[in-house]
Amino acid sequence: MEVLSLKEELVSFRGIKEGIYIFIKKGDFKNIKKELQEKLIEYKDFYNGASILGIKSENLREEEIKELLHLIEDKFELYIEENGLPSYLEEEHYNIEINEGMTRFYNTTIRSGQIIEYNGNIVIIGDVNPGALVRATGNIVILGKLRGVAHAGIDGNKNTYVAAYELQPTQLRIGDIIARKPDEGFAMSNMPEVAKVYKGEVLIQPYLAKKQ
Amino acid sequence: MGKAIVITSGKGGVGKTTATANIGTGLAMLGYKVVVVDTDIGLRNLDVVMGLENRIVYDIVDVVEKNCRLKQGLIRDKRFQGLFLLPAAQTKDKTAVKPEQMLELVNELKEEFDYIIIDSPAGIEQGFQNSIAGADEAYIVTTPEISAVRDADRVIGLLEAKGMTNPKVIVNRIRLDMVKRGNMMNVEDIIDILAVDLLGVVPDDEAIVISTNKGEPVVSEENPMSSKAFRNICRRITGEEVELLDLEDGEGKFTKLIKLLFS
Repeated sequence: MEVLSLKEELVSFRGIKEGIYIFIKKGDFKNIKKELQEKLIEYKDFYNGASILGIKSENLREEEIKELLHLIEDKFELYIEENGLPSYLEEEHYNIEINEGMTRFYNTTIRSGQIIEYNGNIVIIGDVNPGALVRATGNIVILGKLRGVAHAGIDGNKNTYVAAYELQPTQLRIGDIIARKPDEGFAMSNMPEVAKVYKGEVLIQPYLAKKQ
Repeated sequence: MGKAIVITSGKGGVGKTTATANIGTGLAMLGYKVVVVDTDIGLRNLDVVMGLENRIVYDIVDVVEKNCRLKQGLIRDKRFQGLFLLPAAQTKDKTAVKPEQMLELVNELKEEFDYIIIDSPAGIEQGFQNSIAGADEAYIVTTPEISAVRDADRVIGLLEAKGMTNPKVIVNRIRLDMVKRGNMMNVEDIIDILAVDLLGVVPDDEAIVISTNKGEPVVSEENPMSSKAFRNICRRITGEEVELLDLEDGEGKFTKLIKLLFS
């Protein structure tokens, strides 16, 4: 009996009105490269002479994408458009985890009516009170209570997170996703928590996954 | 050189004017020379609460515009020596006085008085900016309601931005029975949010309404709980360490005794 392969495809060719681009799912670079080569060989005739807009990937680094583009151009003589991917596809370019970068520290309580904004990460040693707004392109960490509104990844980066000693925000925004405090019946946790995006929704977890 | 204290809240109707009148009177009862200043131009109330409305000839706008001398603008209290009122103008609006003029006025008053208690209008606009212009310290009045606490928080933020970093909070109109039933914010919750020092807690008290209507601040009466609370606040202002008032004291004890006897 033949076993059906249920292996998910890592590489796919996608057509949009501007042309064709290659979409690559999260996976091991070696496998991706192998699969891409196989596909290109298989459909060589079909794509012959076509131009490729570029590569959109879920987790590849820039060098890796460059390497693949070179491979396509040199080995398979496909033409890569100079303009690259249309800008609306580029949006999720910050798929790199925000674990480093510029950080601003605040050692005070952020009160109602106050807005804090920073191009980078924000660390607050103090509380964020209701009516206050904290906005960062990166992560937000609060060593205190978050009762106001926090917006991490204001330029659209959904890999950012918001962490607080007590996470009771009026509203949480990560990237373009907005979550609000339930009107009633929400669980209180007595430990620091982290809010991040999981499958398009804001998920709140204990600061360490093992602590429950 | 005296000390200028602004009484403010952001939200209206929480008891700024009542607190100003009582703190001013209370400090005067302790023997200090005190002036209470009403900066709520256009909506003056402090004179009514102090029972001095019919004595007004000049007001704060006349004083800053130099239509009269400072001494002429000050109204001596009808009962307590050493207590004066500088009333607001009723026919002008908040723009009639500028922050620089307030600063000058307060500095002038500081030479004459031990305490200058400034009653701030509700809101955070020019009237508020005027009221804090010359103040050395700020006391925030709030009630145990989320809206009042929220506004207090906003005001504390604005004060901090002006360099007044250590405001103190007066929690007004607290009802112990409601707090016990969990239907009202308690003082700890409020202080937890505002993260500033507590100056005092004043219970919700009928005596306040009666005294306000009479034009005699409650602090001058012996028995009401609110009066005791304000007297304690005044002693704390002068630097004395006074424990927080046990709100169950007084009438509570008697009912407790009865309950004990019949249980």
